[in-house]
Amino acid sequence: MMTTINAFLAAKGIYMLTLALLALGVAGIIVCNNYMKKLICMNVMQVAVIFFFLCLGQKSPGTIPVAVDTAVKASEYINPLPHGLMLTAIVVSLGTTGVGLSLLLRIREKYGTIEEDDLLRREELMTRKKKDGGDRN
Amino acid sequence: MRKTITVILLIVAVIMPFLAFDILPVIGDPQSAPNTHVSDYYIEHAIEECNSPNMVTAVIVDYRAFDTMFETTVMFLAGLSVVIILANRPKKRIPAHSSLKRVRHSGGRPVFETVNKDVMISVIEPLILIYAIYVLFHGEVSLGGGFQAGALIGMTYLLDVMVVKRDKPIFNLSKTKAAAIAGFGPLIYALTGIVTILGGGLYLEYNKIPLSVHQAELHSIGITAVEIGVTIGVAGTIITILSALMERTSFDDDND
Repeated sequence: MMTTINAFLAAKGIYMLTLALLALGVAGIIVCNNYMKKLICMNVMQVAVIFFFLCLGQKSPGTIPVAVDTAVKASEYINPLPHGLMLTAIVVSLGTTGVGLSLLLRIREKYGTIEEDDLLRREELMTRKKKDGGDRN
Repeated sequence: MRKTITVILLIVAVIMPFLAFDILPVIGDPQSAPNTHVSDYYIEHAIEECNSPNMVTAVIVDYRAFDTMFETTVMFLAGLSVVIILANRPKKRIPAHSSLKRVRHSGGRPVFETVNKDVMISVIEPLILIYAIYVLFHGEVSLGGGFQAGALIGMTYLLDVMVVKRDKPIFNLSKTKAAAIAGFGPLIYALTGIVTILGGGLYLEYNKIPLSVHQAELHSIGITAVEIGVTIGVAGTIITILSALMERTSFDDDND
């Protein structure tokens, strides 16, 4: 029994960890009330996806994908393709975080808060005020 | 309601790997689908075809150069959209929250009880820049590349702006100027492709660059040119985002 669990964890256990991280990010986006925390949880989700792809590129006896004289066969290096793809994904996640931060700044300037329930209350107040003003005119 | 959905999601996430047990490859298996096919070709031919011992660099800027070109463009567009979103004139700087205000010394400056950051950052910054240049030009030989070098240069600017209090900043890049600099990155990348067309090859086919050097050297020249473009694009975008956000927020130790 113990050896079966050990073998399973060694072979596929890491997928559970990355999926738990992904679920943590999604749960944070749903539960958190603060938009800044939602943005941070989005980043956690992106990290989970990056980890998942890096797991696929792993080879057991492999070294880093920089050529050395002593290793010539393809099985002696880990897979460079997921690393290349995830390198660009990391940088693009930086860009999306920047856009998210600038949107948060605009929300803060308009409503004075980035807490979701506060914001919805103020939005309601603002529309009611606008409607009252429209009636008077 | 929210909590229930979250708990269901977490349970699904723990159960999912058991259902997908047969689909996902075993970790570290050299014969699994992602580790065979095209990946073996990249590893075995990277040195002779691209003259680049670092296979990650060979993959991202030689075999998949189009992909990286548009990733750089996406970075530039992200910086541009930050400038457009924050294009209106700010009414006032958002003050720091009162609970974040630090107790000030009678001299009006915060009290330092550790390493003097004003001195230390000035020592560290040139070293980071030297490392960035090394990472950029050694990206094809050892670990490194354009993205990392751009991030290092952007972070040096970030350190200088956020940590050191200068009366007159050394580089004062506004968000629009920084976005213009970031635009030069994809331009250099695209022009490299046009140069290879002028040499009689396809777009971004580096061994057709019209220079009279050895065939393998041409690949190095092309990769380096493209990496410089990527570096400028990434560094410019980081500086754009930083200066766009910094002109609207204030910190507890600001002078004004």
